[in-house]
Amino acid sequence: MIVNVINRKNLFQFLLVSGLFSSCKQEDTRIPEDFEVATAWADMTNYIAKTTPANTPTFSSRCFGYIGCTMYESVVNSSDEYQSVATELNGLGALPLPGQGVKYKWVLSLNAGQAEILRSIYIQTSDENKRRIDSLEQHFEKIFKDKDSKDSNDSKSIAYGRMIAQKIFEWSKTDGGHRAYLKNFDKTLLFENRPGCWKPPLYAQSFSHFPLHPHWGKNRTFIASDSMLSDPVFITYDTTPGSAYYNQFKAVYDKEKALTQKEKETAIWWGDDPDETFTPPGHSYYLATIAIRKTKPGIVKCAETYAKVGIAVADAFRNCWKWKFQFFSERPNTYIAEHIDNEWHSFWPDPPFPAFPSGHAIQASAAAVVLADLYGERFEFTDSAHSGRKRDELRNADFVVRHFNSFWEVAEETANSRFYGGIHTAQDNIAGLEKGKEIANNVNKLNWKKKTN
Amino acid sequence: MSYRLIIVAIATSLTVTTGYCQSRFTNVTDSAGIKHVFKVFEGMFGGGACVLDYNNDGYEDLYITGGMNDDVLYKNNGNGTFINVFEQAGLAITKKYVTQGVAGADVNRDGFVDLFITTITLRNEKKAIPREINLFLLNNGNGTFRDATSEYGLDSLYSFSTAGNFGDFNADGWPDLYVGNYFNEFYGKLSYINDNTLVGANQISKGYLLLNEKGKRFRNVYADYKLDYRGFGFGGVFTDFDNDGDQDLIVNHDFGYKRTPNMLLENHYPRSNFKDVAKTFGMDLKINSMGAAVGDFNNDGWMDYFITNIHSNWFMVNEGNGKGFVNKTKELGTDFFTISWGANFGDFDQDGDLDLFVANGDLNPNCVAMADYYFVNNGKSFEDKARQVGLNDYGIGRGSVMFDYDNDGDQDLLVVNQESVQPYPVPSVTHLYRNDSATGHWIKIALKGVQAESHGIGSKIEIEVGGKKMIREIDGGGSSHISQNSVIAHFGVGNISKIDKINVYWTGGNKQSLTNVDVNQSITITEIPRKGSNNGLIYIIIGICVVGAGVIFWRFSKGKK
Repeated sequence: MIVNVINRKNLFQFLLVSGLFSSCKQEDTRIPEDFEVATAWADMTNYIAKTTPANTPTFSSRCFGYIGCTMYESVVNSSDEYQSVATELNGLGALPLPGQGVKYKWVLSLNAGQAEILRSIYIQTSDENKRRIDSLEQHFEKIFKDKDSKDSNDSKSIAYGRMIAQKIFEWSKTDGGHRAYLKNFDKTLLFENRPGCWKPPLYAQSFSHFPLHPHWGKNRTFIASDSMLSDPVFITYDTTPGSAYYNQFKAVYDKEKALTQKEKETAIWWGDDPDETFTPPGHSYYLATIAIRKTKPGIVKCAETYAKVGIAVADAFRNCWKWKFQFFSERPNTYIAEHIDNEWHSFWPDPPFPAFPSGHAIQASAAAVVLADLYGERFEFTDSAHSGRKRDELRNADFVVRHFNSFWEVAEETANSRFYGGIHTAQDNIAGLEKGKEIANNVNKLNWKKKTN
Repeated sequence: MSYRLIIVAIATSLTVTTGYCQSRFTNVTDSAGIKHVFKVFEGMFGGGACVLDYNNDGYEDLYITGGMNDDVLYKNNGNGTFINVFEQAGLAITKKYVTQGVAGADVNRDGFVDLFITTITLRNEKKAIPREINLFLLNNGNGTFRDATSEYGLDSLYSFSTAGNFGDFNADGWPDLYVGNYFNEFYGKLSYINDNTLVGANQISKGYLLLNEKGKRFRNVYADYKLDYRGFGFGGVFTDFDNDGDQDLIVNHDFGYKRTPNMLLENHYPRSNFKDVAKTFGMDLKINSMGAAVGDFNNDGWMDYFITNIHSNWFMVNEGNGKGFVNKTKELGTDFFTISWGANFGDFDQDGDLDLFVANGDLNPNCVAMADYYFVNNGKSFEDKARQVGLNDYGIGRGSVMFDYDNDGDQDLLVVNQESVQPYPVPSVTHLYRNDSATGHWIKIALKGVQAESHGIGSKIEIEVGGKKMIREIDGGGSSHISQNSVIAHFGVGNISKIDKINVYWTGGNKQSLTNVDVNQSITITEIPRKGSNNGLIYIIIGICVVGAGVIFWRFSKGKK
């Protein structure tokens, strides 16, 4: 355990993670375990995702990828079991190895790396948020650094983590998504206007009438093979009542008319609106934190978890957007209003991008598969992400915490929630879940562990 | 709505309109010399119109914003035609800006109506964050205006402003302003822009509450009046919803279902604060609120509000006596699905109740054609007769105003339309409709405030005819979408030939009455000032209360010892 290398004289005042953002009063006098440091940074990552204006699921998914990779690469060399995956990532190349003869405090490397990558990749966040990042970094430094600052290993550990973050940030700049928050909507975009194609929503989540990040599908994937996945199968457009295409939308319409209270609660729980929350990929990052807090693994497995989930959701969104703009398919609000009921509108407002496949489903599936690989198919936990949020008066539903027995249950509920919300058909969700699995399998296939003979 | 359905609808409407010879509104746009279309700047915002008599010749003129096109000031020639005097009136300053909405009031009480024009950015300069000052143009009284933006303290308010509307919330006779901002506002020019400023730019915004300081300056008293909310603002309208004699404020917010809902700000005059009571009164509408038409459609003495929206509009019926509002759009037959902006309550057929015009239009750049509505009040509900009367224009409607441009006693309409960015099935230009349908008797009443606002903005007029009472509030802007109707109140009275009584409730509490007034005439009622100011009386009462409370407290304290 990394904490073993810490001089026990360095007793500290450790803020519980829940109190880090709001209060300095809740104190603990024990040394935090590695998993607590890792999860504190994941909490900070989600906090920044939630509170940075103009954030999007696309941009944040990419950030989770780079932040997770940074955490992994900043500590992986502490392990005899794990190895760097840098050379397997698309265009990153080998990262510098730690110095010989240095007794690294890996938790300091992790701490410095997370602070550095967050500051860099979320450069658009507020000054107040930047101060929070600095404050968390200093907090852990104070705990883990030699109090007389005489140990040069400390500064080398910090420098190593920072350097890994800088290398990864430099790599990120060329993927097509760098500072993409400045071009969320391409106002010069000319898009199709054929029957069945996406139309700007009227009951909308965004004021934009252009689709979000239309070029995101051209971005570099984290894993090269993820850019070569086969296209999902799309049911042919048909307005004939009873046709397969028609029935997809009729099912959405019928469901909306018969939503149960539990289904309403499910729909709002997984909304994860980027204007108010940490976005859907942030929810997956949060699930990784739940798994870590429950099992308390070592520092490298913590980092592996965030790296895998981060890469999975990033490549899921990149591929999802490729297909969204390739198929450029309509939302139920368009088809149903035209062919079933002119006065209908969905339970949940439309996001500003095409429907097929579902972004919620694909990223939830990708995250669920990597988490199941790490923590087992059966994993019981409670998701309290939105606990305490104000009741949704408009939809007459509360934010009710969820209990699950497996990560796959989460993926399915996430997908279904969009069907309940009336903004996705079943085929959007099924395709998302299927393709998410393929992306996760590619993530799992990387050589995370050294081969043992 | 499917494109196929729309094409069929347009074809049907053309056929029917052509064959219907007794159209009661005549499109006189061309013959009147109106040639205008609003051109958008990236998106769907704008434009509006303001009815004003800028040269006091007794004929109502029009100021219409152009967005990326030049604005126009149409001088009413008095013979059914207009002439654009924009350049000679000294309004060329507005060409620098992408204008949005417009409202007018006699800000310095010199007898001439001044103009307040909202803008969102500059026309010929691409800005990283589009924000600009709004323009205040002071009427020189000689047919020209001058830019008084800086002089009136408005040159540091950089905003993405949709609408400004006048009112007199402190009842001092000097017209004040509320300005709705859509994206967040800045004080002063942005000297340094980084990524953080850029991503923060399109967040919800505070509005401006601009207090008129004796005609010399405006001062933003938003915080002073205990206001701190932000929203995607589409302006508001000052109106006395609770009949307590002061001007409350309805604020329209876009995306109320995920950001800030509509607000109903109760004026606590003479105290200097507003309180949001929207939730209490059922007015916290979580919709895409674009505008609000103000009118007492059921003649029960309480103002009702028709709030325009995407999908279905909300007909908020005032239950009166503090009982709040109920949306009765279904019961009243106005629950059609469309995208609505401007709306105007007027007694177009002059039968003694308010009808309702609604301007509809899709969101540029992807526009589907949708017709405007003309809801005739049948007593218990409304019926859309736009097609029958020739008001079912399929242009991309925005602001709409009613006035009597030909001084024949009935209410005519002007509807501002946007140019379509992409190919569109019908021409989309601004239209002037002459009302040729009204058959009932009428009266038009202009107000001349002495202590109250000089055109009676915010004051109420009530007439009593045959045991029925009807009221009108004088619109200071906002009883539509980013536009301002005529300040001359119009009443239709059917076949009644005598108005039993006219009561004027001036802002500030002054009241005066006239009896036995002939119909079919335009009259001006000049305020008879009360001796001593209203404020003085209130302060005397407050003073007595304070002294009384002090005495009681003193005695109570003494008793305890």
